[in-house]
Amino acid sequence: MRNRLRAIFLVMGSLVIAVGLLYADLKKGYYSPAQLGSVQQAAPIELLPDSNYEVAAFPVPAVDLAPGDGLQDVQIYCNTCHSPRYITMQPPLPAAMWESEVNKMNKTFGAGIPEENARKIFLYLQAHYTAENRKR
Amino acid sequence: MVSKKRCLSRRGLLKLLGAAGSGIVVDQWLGANVAIAQGPVPEKAMETFTGPGPNPHWNSVGPYVTEPQKVPLILLTDRPVQLETPRHYFRTAFTPNEAFYVRWHLDGIPNAVDLKNWKLHVEGNVNKPLAFSLPELMNKFKPLSLAAVNECSGNSRSRLQPRVPGGQWGHGAMGNAMWTGVPLRELLDMAGVKNGSLQVQFQGLENGQGPEGFGSNLFLKSLDLANPVLDECLVAYQMNGEPLPMLNGFPVRLVVPGYFATYWTKCLTWIRVLNAPDENFWMKTGYRVPDTPRGNTTPEDVKAGKVKTVPIERLPVRSFLISPDASSKIPAGMNVMLRGIAFSGYGRVIRVEVSDDAGKRWMPTKLGDDHGAYSFRTWEVPWTANSPGRYSLAVRATDEKNNTQPDEPVWNPGGYLWNRIERQDIVVGNAG
Repeated sequence: MRNRLRAIFLVMGSLVIAVGLLYADLKKGYYSPAQLGSVQQAAPIELLPDSNYEVAAFPVPAVDLAPGDGLQDVQIYCNTCHSPRYITMQPPLPAAMWESEVNKMNKTFGAGIPEENARKIFLYLQAHYTAENRKR
Repeated sequence: MVSKKRCLSRRGLLKLLGAAGSGIVVDQWLGANVAIAQGPVPEKAMETFTGPGPNPHWNSVGPYVTEPQKVPLILLTDRPVQLETPRHYFRTAFTPNEAFYVRWHLDGIPNAVDLKNWKLHVEGNVNKPLAFSLPELMNKFKPLSLAAVNECSGNSRSRLQPRVPGGQWGHGAMGNAMWTGVPLRELLDMAGVKNGSLQVQFQGLENGQGPEGFGSNLFLKSLDLANPVLDECLVAYQMNGEPLPMLNGFPVRLVVPGYFATYWTKCLTWIRVLNAPDENFWMKTGYRVPDTPRGNTTPEDVKAGKVKTVPIERLPVRSFLISPDASSKIPAGMNVMLRGIAFSGYGRVIRVEVSDDAGKRWMPTKLGDDHGAYSFRTWEVPWTANSPGRYSLAVRATDEKNNTQPDEPVWNPGGYLWNRIERQDIVVGNAG
């Protein structure tokens, strides 16, 4: 009885080990629901043999801006010359640098953002896009 | 989430019994229905930003995007458009047009050009202002072709410490193409540059929402008429034997061999001879580098107002390992080919060396075909790691003026001129 039990354990044990070894070599057939998303192909555009050389509109994917005070000012004023992806593309920057970036838009580039709104914009950037607080 | 059946189904058991002796079927059965160990986890997305440390990846971290006439490229910004070329497109000396990086400054980028109305103007301080249609450029002048690297001034900006604002490029804001067109000098000579002229200014079809007179309204670049590079400049209507993609400057763009891409005006439409120095934002304030070796300075010196700047010019010597790219392990003892590219704006690359011991010993590599002094030059060298472990591969190039890549980083507030020796960690696995 004892020997039989031992034999069964031995056989079962080697089976598990054998299957385990096989499995380690042959791990395959695993799929998961898409995590990374896909990039859709653009359909070919219709071309005519005339003198006009045209391409489709340049795509602007949605950008994930931090919610918070000042977001609306960002969406209105920053968006005049460039999409707000210019913000999320930056590395985390020191708070003082965000203030000088917003000032640069007004002074150097003539953005004409009213002072009150410019202040709300750099306070927003300082609240969400520095090394200490950036999350996305 | 991995969805897997964790127990042996009845059908699976029957299948196993029926397939006894057939190894292949057993494999399939094991793979499909048994989960004894932990299964592979789903692929994770790249982080959405890097910093405050340096970007540890070869490319920038943005998502892929499909833009007109382009394969999916890495998105930095969408309006105006800035796209980076993924690393694997640099396996060849010439970068495909559809994968060539894109960098615009202002959001008024042409979606269409009607060649019935479009003309290239040569104007300003000239004896006879001229305008050329595309057929005139193609037929009135003998076409000239030359291979030249177009590299963004801010290429690799995401490596700088401390980080600086601006396009957070990895290494993919560069490309090499065979450019075909008309020598700029022939156009200038035909119009007749007046005595006392100082510079020639270039303007394309790009414009922005900012007020007149600001850099946010027009993107303008100028070169000194005394600069010998003007004799090498090309007004190119072909890129790798094809029309230029709209995002790379259709119908013609300026090619300034050896110089940073900021001078390579896209959709070039006005060539303007000036009798006074160009003081617009993009010359006087933008694209300037410290007048120091390698354009290197410190945040403290900038703050103290000690830094004198000059317009950026030539591409410093650089080299890259393109494959292997560390996305897979290499079995110990396997002989693999290390491949990459090198270039310099100061003359042809004459030597590329590789190190697998953090730069203590350097081994020579074999250079590929020579496509001219301003082209990418490919290099390769076989390499074997006999024992498993982590290897740091470093690559450095030397050009014919004896400029060699240093191992020290560069820092300046614009994030320009990065060219230190690049390293790539490679994992060599136990080969069993």
